[in-house]
Amino acid sequence: MNLSVEIAGLRLKNPLIAASGTFGYGVEYEGILDLSRLGGLVSKGLYLEPRDGCPPPRIVETPSGLLNAIGLQGVGVRAFVRDVLPRLLVHDTAIFVNVCGDTVEEYAEVARILEDAPGVAGLEINISCPNVKKGGMAFGGDPRMTHEVVAAVRKATLRPVIPKLSPNVADITVFARAAAEAGADALSCINTLLGLAIDVETARPALAFGTGGLSGPAIRPLAVRMAWQAARAVKIPVIGVGGIASARDALEFLIAGCRAVQVGTANFVNVGIYDRILADLGHYLERHGRTDINEVVATLSYPDSAPAPPRSE
Amino acid sequence: MPADEPAPLLAREPLEGAYVLLTFRHAETARAARAGQFVMIKAGTSPELPLRRPFSVMSVDRARQTFTLFLKAVGPGSRALAGLRVGEVAQCLGPLGRSFPPPGAGEEALLVAGGYGIAPFRLFCEELGTGPRARVFYGGRTGHDLQLRDRFADLKVPLLPATEDGSVGHRGRVTSALEAYLDGRPGPVRLYACGPPAMLQAVASLAGERGLEASVSLDPWMGCGLGTCLSCVVWTQEREEPRPHYRCACTEGPVFDAKTVVWPGEVTSLARRRPERSPA
Repeated sequence: MNLSVEIAGLRLKNPLIAASGTFGYGVEYEGILDLSRLGGLVSKGLYLEPRDGCPPPRIVETPSGLLNAIGLQGVGVRAFVRDVLPRLLVHDTAIFVNVCGDTVEEYAEVARILEDAPGVAGLEINISCPNVKKGGMAFGGDPRMTHEVVAAVRKATLRPVIPKLSPNVADITVFARAAAEAGADALSCINTLLGLAIDVETARPALAFGTGGLSGPAIRPLAVRMAWQAARAVKIPVIGVGGIASARDALEFLIAGCRAVQVGTANFVNVGIYDRILADLGHYLERHGRTDINEVVATLSYPDSAPAPPRSE
Repeated sequence: MPADEPAPLLAREPLEGAYVLLTFRHAETARAARAGQFVMIKAGTSPELPLRRPFSVMSVDRARQTFTLFLKAVGPGSRALAGLRVGEVAQCLGPLGRSFPPPGAGEEALLVAGGYGIAPFRLFCEELGTGPRARVFYGGRTGHDLQLRDRFADLKVPLLPATEDGSVGHRGRVTSALEAYLDGRPGPVRLYACGPPAMLQAVASLAGERGLEASVSLDPWMGCGLGTCLSCVVWTQEREEPRPHYRCACTEGPVFDAKTVVWPGEVTSLARRRPERSPA
């Protein structure tokens, strides 16, 4: 039974990656979860400097969803490289770093600093965080800016570059193509959806920041649709993310054309979720007479009569 | 190290109203939990939302590998837990967070509880045992909020109830009962507080005025319990720090030195001064 997959020239032992912002820096799980069980993990988003993030309250639950405005609180890339990365490298899993910036130059500078750090498998480029005033979604909401940021990071690093696309756009395929043309090696689809929850007693937003990013099972069908569209639009691999809490959920993304998936919000609910998903992926393959998880990728049999986005040439 | 495992409900004792005592089997929490620590727990084992909720460990039985929670069913998370039947299972991660620091030699531990904030003090009194003296100040709006007031008798710890309506014990806020006790010039004391935010802030300012050490257990919204979601942050400022920092109540608390906590009201002025990004 083969569960290993290849993304951007990297061999991952399985298709499950812990999503940025839902897994801290990974080291928080030492002693609780064997990180070597994961195909990979993506760090919390990192800027050049430490960030305070948004004032609390930072999360509110909605039906099957979690609305958050953390605001990319973080230790900064240098402290990550110095203090965190050495502790992560003892674990046999792929370490991706989520790269943030207020400016194109900052993204490139963070990438350059990581270029000198041993053991980083790849860079996920955060052009889609809805909870910061500058950067973030501003870059992911304009295809020219997406191209510019990805190209700048591409120039700054030899490591795999994986932009994380925003769902808060009319046509994600435009952004998928812009990122691919700028030299991206893979895409993460999708980040959170911009939402607003209101405390009706006070007539104020439930989150101190105001709006927030929606995650969790509530967004899964949207995420599957967008990952499917992106996977058809570009030749580079797509990593599906959005509301995955089970093998069944992960398989939706794989069947839609994703080569790997990220587990996000479910990390908060059950630390041991990876073992369960991996076991169930194995059972699924057995049940379907397959021996390799890659065999299920892009097997969606979509009705001919239904509208589908064009495939990449 | 905390463990994330299914925890079967072994006993359920409904108290008045929405209050209930729940005893779960969870070997690691029973073995390692110290007073002030908590578990993240939800009814059932589904990895789907809603999130788990944090609850202070009220007591442990190491031999039986069980721990007990005291909770008030107020929202969907606590209601689902309170509605579990014996034999049903919860998903439990624990024990988590930092425990109460012990009182200094010769210090009397004054434990100030508001409502269900009493929970961690039962375990704390057991830990303090026959060593340093302890005294519990237990406040609520009415006697109904003091469901555990008869549950400290076996520990021979004095318990002073306070109710705002005067139906039980001292009439007024629990902090005024504490203040009255302090006015009687007891020997060396150390304060511990768990309860609503306004009560914690009142205890902190009382401690500040009188130059007393105080530990407060904060209870902001928590997502994960492990410091990864960064939801439960609290402004705190250590003596050597030039500015406050957001710290996770789940990993760097929930018990904080009251002196370090930047309380609501103090936050606005600090936030205005605070740069968008800290200096490198």
